[in-house]
Amino acid sequence: MADGLIEALRYPPMQKAALACILCGASCSMLSVFVVLMRMPLIGVSMSHAAFAGAVFGMLFRANPFVSGLVACLLTAAALGPLSDRSDLAPENILGIMFSFLTGLAFLGMGILTRTKADALNLMWGNLLTLANRDVAILVAVTAAPAVFIPVFFKEIRAVLFNRRLAVSSGVPGKGIYYALLFMSGAVVSANLASVGGLLIFALLVQPGATALQLTYNLKIFFVISIAAGVGACVVGLAVSYYFDLPSGASVVLAATTIFAVSYALSPKRRRAGKTTR
Amino acid sequence: MSETVVDILGAIVKRGANVLLDVPALEIRRGEFVGVIGPNGAGKTTLLNVIAGFERFEGKLRLFGRDAGMKRARATRLRIGYVPQYLNFDPAFPILAREAVMTGAAGRIGLFRSPGREECAKGVRLLEMMRIEHLAARPLGSLSGGERQKISLARALIQEPEILLLDEPTAGLDIAVQKEFLALIREIHRSQGLTVLYVTHDFNMIPNSMTRALLLMKGEIAYDGRVAEALSSARLSSLFGSSLESFERNGARFISHG
Repeated sequence: MADGLIEALRYPPMQKAALACILCGASCSMLSVFVVLMRMPLIGVSMSHAAFAGAVFGMLFRANPFVSGLVACLLTAAALGPLSDRSDLAPENILGIMFSFLTGLAFLGMGILTRTKADALNLMWGNLLTLANRDVAILVAVTAAPAVFIPVFFKEIRAVLFNRRLAVSSGVPGKGIYYALLFMSGAVVSANLASVGGLLIFALLVQPGATALQLTYNLKIFFVISIAAGVGACVVGLAVSYYFDLPSGASVVLAATTIFAVSYALSPKRRRAGKTTR
Repeated sequence: MSETVVDILGAIVKRGANVLLDVPALEIRRGEFVGVIGPNGAGKTTLLNVIAGFERFEGKLRLFGRDAGMKRARATRLRIGYVPQYLNFDPAFPILAREAVMTGAAGRIGLFRSPGREECAKGVRLLEMMRIEHLAARPLGSLSGGERQKISLARALIQEPEILLLDEPTAGLDIAVQKEFLALIREIHRSQGLTVLYVTHDFNMIPNSMTRALLLMKGEIAYDGRVAEALSSARLSSLFGSSLESFERNGARFISHG
């Protein structure tokens, strides 16, 4: 079985697919830490729908779907930041409204789109085997951004994730860190849309962080576990889909869910919490 | 006379048509221990939020002699420590007690720098002062409410503030922990000479080290002055809309339902 996979990896499209899958796992799982610890899973789904809506409208107006998706994501991030800072609106309600608005917008674009609906539907599931070198280069860039940002601003990130208001009161540039994370989420989602599709991105923006949450109280190790879970789910999912001729996106999502389920079952934190409440 | 550190020259906070706070003037001097007392909805937290820079307001606020709004310089923020009513976080959040304390130093240390030996030693000293140094390596989520509030206080103090804002920090704690916490605040005020604003609606947990009392009612200042006068039976009964009796015994003030 392993020989077959190694043989397949000799072909450039498969190499690109494997690399894109690993980069997707790494980039999404780094941001998954923020999505999970800030308790805003709808950020992922809102961003993926923003990228989807932007890409659909890009197709409609014959623009580059990646660029239009990225613009839509960045606009969403720019709107989400100030809206979630308003004390009269709960962040989860804002995200819910944004999500439904963006879904409506995407389907509106799909309805107007007469010729290339199949291309638009590919954005939901992605297509790893049709990636251009430029797509892989973009994925490398959006993975590098959080990979550099997180270690450089680690102490500020920890303070903001712990309590953004207290971080700001202590002189940490909380707004800058928060907005940077939102913009990076937008860039990661729009870059990954064409390769792995909106649905998989959403799964990878939540499940790796949720897996790490079961296993550690150390934020540095939290990032490592999240990345391992995200990349692991992508590699395992891709291998399973190759051997059993299954849809790759669905295989990766199911692999990520299995990893989460195992971590939940073995969670030392959950057992510890159970002991203290008894 | 000591320097004015907080100078409100009119501060109005509105939520729709409701006025949450309307303070025409308020001056707080360095080293004062101001108790901000009032029933629920009196505007106590809103006043603290205005000073902390969490709340948008109409009017003018001067901190340490400089104009300040919600947007303010990092240097100004560093001079004001804030202890909330509860530390609102997921108990599974990946942070240890000592790391939670160190988050308070992040702004002071500045960007692109890691906490040095000196900052870490200060964190340990603060945990010792709170008598919870043995909990340093414990996950914050596993600590009790009182222990978390001590972490919250240590987190604010590691910032090395000149003003300490405490928003009902003993709410929800048992009586013994409340007393211990108040003793810590008294000790910090005495030894470090901080200016303290202490919000409470629990008149049985009013720190006896208070040098000034500010009574708030419906967003307005009902009384500002001497503690003994503020805590008189008549004033408290009027403030809380209930018959209350205030008396002193063995140097401590007690308030009971009349």
